[in-house]
Amino acid sequence: MNSREKLQTVRELKAAIREQVNLRKSDKRPVLTVSSGTCGQARGSAKVIGALHRVLEERKLENKVRVRVTGCHGFCEAEPNIIIFPHNVFYQKVDPKNGRDIITETVLKKKILPGLLYKDPRTAETAVEESGIGFYRKQKRVLLADNALIDPTKIDDYLAIGGYGSLVKILTGMTPEGVIETVKKSGLRGRGGAGFPTGLKWESARRSKGDLKYVICNADEGDPGAYMDRSLLEGNPHRVLEGMLIGAYAMGAREGYMYVRDEYPLAVKHVTLAIEELRRLGLIGQNILGTGFDFEIRIAKGAGAFVCGEETALIASIEGRVGEPRQRPPFPTVRGLFGKPTCINNVETWGNVPLIIDKGADWFAGIGTEGSKGTKIFSLVGKINNTGLVEVPMGITLREIIYDIGGGIPGDRAFKAVQTGGPSGGCLPKEMLDLPIDYQSLAQAGSIMGSGGMIVMDEKTCMVDIAKYYLNFLRDESCGKCVSCREGTQRMWEIVKKISDGKATMEDIAVLEQLAGAVKDASLCGLGQTAANPVLSTLKYFRSEYEKHVVEKRCPAMVCKEIVSSPCQYICPIGQEASTYIALIAQKKFAEAYEVIRKDNPLPSVCGRVCSRACETVCRAGEIGEPISIRGLKRFVMDWAKAKGLDSPVRFPVTRAEKVAIIGAGPAGLTAGYALARKGYPVRIFEALPVPGGMLAVTIPGHRLPKDILNEDINFIMESGVSIKTHMALGKDFTLDDLHNQGYKAVFIATGAHKPIEIGVPGEEAEGVLQALEYLKDVHLKRPVELGRRVVVIGGGNSAVDAARVALRNKNVQKVSILYRRTRKEMPAYPEEVEAALDEGVKVEFLTAPTWVLTKDGRVTGVRCQRMKLGEKDESGRPKPVPIEGSEFLVPVDTLILALSERAYTPYLKESDGLTLSPKWGTIIVDPATMATTRPGVFAGGDVVTGPSSVIDAIAAGKSAAEAIASYLEGRPLVRARRTTRPSFYVPPVELKEDELQQAKRSQMPHLPPSRRKTMHEEVELGFTREVAVREARRCLRCELETEDGKKATGRET
Amino acid sequence: MTVAFEKEKIQSFIDRHQGKKKSLIAILQDIQGEYRYLPEDCLRFVAKTLGIPLTDVVAVATFYRAFSLTPRGKHVCTVCQGTACHVRGGPRILDEFERRLKVRAGQTTKDKQFTLETVACLGCCAIGPVVVVDRDYHAHTTVRNVGAILKKYQR
Repeated sequence: MNSREKLQTVRELKAAIREQVNLRKSDKRPVLTVSSGTCGQARGSAKVIGALHRVLEERKLENKVRVRVTGCHGFCEAEPNIIIFPHNVFYQKVDPKNGRDIITETVLKKKILPGLLYKDPRTAETAVEESGIGFYRKQKRVLLADNALIDPTKIDDYLAIGGYGSLVKILTGMTPEGVIETVKKSGLRGRGGAGFPTGLKWESARRSKGDLKYVICNADEGDPGAYMDRSLLEGNPHRVLEGMLIGAYAMGAREGYMYVRDEYPLAVKHVTLAIEELRRLGLIGQNILGTGFDFEIRIAKGAGAFVCGEETALIASIEGRVGEPRQRPPFPTVRGLFGKPTCINNVETWGNVPLIIDKGADWFAGIGTEGSKGTKIFSLVGKINNTGLVEVPMGITLREIIYDIGGGIPGDRAFKAVQTGGPSGGCLPKEMLDLPIDYQSLAQAGSIMGSGGMIVMDEKTCMVDIAKYYLNFLRDESCGKCVSCREGTQRMWEIVKKISDGKATMEDIAVLEQLAGAVKDASLCGLGQTAANPVLSTLKYFRSEYEKHVVEKRCPAMVCKEIVSSPCQYICPIGQEASTYIALIAQKKFAEAYEVIRKDNPLPSVCGRVCSRACETVCRAGEIGEPISIRGLKRFVMDWAKAKGLDSPVRFPVTRAEKVAIIGAGPAGLTAGYALARKGYPVRIFEALPVPGGMLAVTIPGHRLPKDILNEDINFIMESGVSIKTHMALGKDFTLDDLHNQGYKAVFIATGAHKPIEIGVPGEEAEGVLQALEYLKDVHLKRPVELGRRVVVIGGGNSAVDAARVALRNKNVQKVSILYRRTRKEMPAYPEEVEAALDEGVKVEFLTAPTWVLTKDGRVTGVRCQRMKLGEKDESGRPKPVPIEGSEFLVPVDTLILALSERAYTPYLKESDGLTLSPKWGTIIVDPATMATTRPGVFAGGDVVTGPSSVIDAIAAGKSAAEAIASYLEGRPLVRARRTTRPSFYVPPVELKEDELQQAKRSQMPHLPPSRRKTMHEEVELGFTREVAVREARRCLRCELETEDGKKATGRET
Repeated sequence: MTVAFEKEKIQSFIDRHQGKKKSLIAILQDIQGEYRYLPEDCLRFVAKTLGIPLTDVVAVATFYRAFSLTPRGKHVCTVCQGTACHVRGGPRILDEFERRLKVRAGQTTKDKQFTLETVACLGCCAIGPVVVVDRDYHAHTTVRNVGAILKKYQR
């Protein structure tokens, strides 16, 4: 339509629409549709558009290929994206550099560029068309799909898709009452959050007497995380305006306002343009199209107040006043803006109206559920793979939205909760995933539909923190009129903050619940009335998480800063102050670093070499790069201290009379011994093997943990006042009764778990089939072991890898393979161990499991194996291996080493000893709080109680046991201190240079070259040099300085 | 950076909205857009011209977050604290800005170069955590690139 003149009649409008529709139909030129809403622009869509234009210019194709700049296509994760018509190709994450190829290859030659196609994060499948993309498949995009078809700044585009056809329809054949009947019949409910039936609201406004009435579009979309309205207004403003025109006609309103929040400049721009175009065409103003219908519309901008989304506050804002809500009744439809009857509807509600008029009420009512008709647009954000705007029919389940459309949680993390309804809504847990989306079902579950924000949370989200977040938002946004809301949101926030800071009591939770009820009952408007929802819903479904914060001072998701302080210290079972000693290393204060390590860890050199270092897995530097090499730094300090002669024990004086016996000189027993000696108790450890150390001595190979290093740590403990007697086996050389008769007042059993678990495969009793732990023990105790040339190890844990690497060092052995039934990702062995094994020439076959051991004359000759594939997750949380039929193959074997796992086994304990064992696990049953067994004075801990666990867990058990035994002997109740994590002192931060701050990669641990690794006597990891250690230590983010205490201590308060 | 009172300019803003009382917010938005804050003299003039008590004008000016009664720095850094950005680590980004600029959210640095603000949601959740400096949107901010972002504007 080249003439830009006013349309005089409805017929002219109808003709103009037809003209545009036909023009578009007949225009066969390809179109490059570039999504360019606010997000698209933030991701550089302008540059992409510029690049496309340049290429078209160069090739003189400007008139042959069109570029259409549109609003958002909904799939925000894939921005900037381009849809090419008529090819129907969807390209995602387009870079300006791709411009040339897109035009020359795809547009002109119809060749697909595979690098730009969408790839499913879980299956890696690509899709060419939008309809093939999982994100779009289950959506019903009646409203949003049009965003891809129009340039929002051109009314002609809107006409070309039949826009304003509904306006024509009502002006030529429907009465205002007829329009309202249609809207009523459709079942449309307000999309702003409350879900009030739109038809009823319109009817009420129509019935109100008065010559001047208003219609208002509420585009104040204040819920954090919700931006559906922004996308509609930016991408298709005419759809909303058409709805308002229809509504104004139906209700007899002459004036309208579009109240847009201040934070949406692009939406304001596009709506302003759209209104100008409408005015120019005569679709706004006096006597529109000669029908006698007048309508004038203005934009009012919000000014940053969430409460102005509430209709009476919104009205106050347009009136130039402070945005305080008022009592209703009277409702705005009776007395609203400037005292006149006013109908306020949400953007999405208005947007649905032209569709309902066009396709009919029955069409709309045919979508959705009984009580909730039509579609709803949700903003699916947070911990989700496919972030974006999704339009779905009411009644679809949360599971379908989150997993089918949303693609699940990134990083394969566990889903924890989904929040709907913004600050007025609630959090729903995984038990509610099959809930159909519907106004009623969401309300019944303790949340609300809200405006459409849907925020997905995973296991790293703390629900207490979320409640605190929403309360903080609400106390800020409360207008202040009602005491219950103004004071209530503030006080609720204070209590939840106290809980999050680890300073609260159970009474605080009771007060919180009471307060929530009061705020809900006594507040005037929706903000106050729903302010308690985030707290109440999280308390309902996640109460235990609150209680952990209060009682244990723990935050399971490790989010609450004041509780966690440094994650490394927080998660360490013995609370090693890693960030403190790392900070000292950064300052080259190695002696002080040594003191910090030593004070909490009786086996520090051991840990510096073999600890399972949970600290590194939660290191925050690892979230934005690679974690600090904490274990390596600990080893550096211990090696340095020993070289300087600093690691000298002090003998603890014996101040108590009660003798304590410890059975087992593994890490649990050694630690308990040291801790008790420190308290002044005379302690003796009885060890069945010829050497102390337990698994440390006889299973972990010397090339990982040199035995002289181990013995230095053990000697330190002995020199401190702990006596160790080897060759003393419980049940054989002495009994518990003997200990009692010898005057021991308490006993700690820490005998470990080392009975191998059988595979359950025929032939495993044959000769040449060894159990990994037995094999390693024999090697370490220098007993004769014969291995054949070809060795196969079955298993995926550290024992399997240890056995394989030790076997390889045997002179006879030529080839060693490990067979593991899952993939490398699931292998429990330390990744660096697997890496080292591969470097040494060990072959690892993944997804392989044994089915049969072949023997000849009672000796193993081979193992029949089957290939596996990964299935659904099992109880361990890992995917279950599923056998592939017909995939069996034979591996010839001279020696087969089984390394599946171990369990506790206590044949040395008789029934008369008075202990209770777990029939299923063989472990000793103890009171979890006191570690006491069923025999008075006898305690147990470590692997013999928990089943196989780690060295550091055993050390922690030893410390706990010492506390328990001490309180038992001193006749006082055992009190476990519950404290928030804090370092014992604060080391000032070092000034870092900018390039150091950017250092995301961690220092590599130097290794002995594989060719020099001949026996177990050559330690493979060589340790950091001083320069490398200091450099690595300087990468630490010093999380403990971010607590209030930390800030105060280092003068960083602002 | 307090500005001199320019009567004609303020009058033009008032005239643009026909001097109507109901347009108070829109008039203040124009003034805020021009000077990046609301100078006291402007508020007095608007109150007098529109015939509204000064206390009502100040009530509106302090109620709505878009308005600032103190001069802003040369650059305004707005860190989004919306729920989606929060869940993706928004608070740590804010901490980092506070640490580097040595001010709390809502304050301006001593050298008047930067004002640090927060916003409850910008509606760009897919690219969170989001930081807007002046008109530039920065997507997927991490603690590590805050320094680089500030450096761009530190001249």
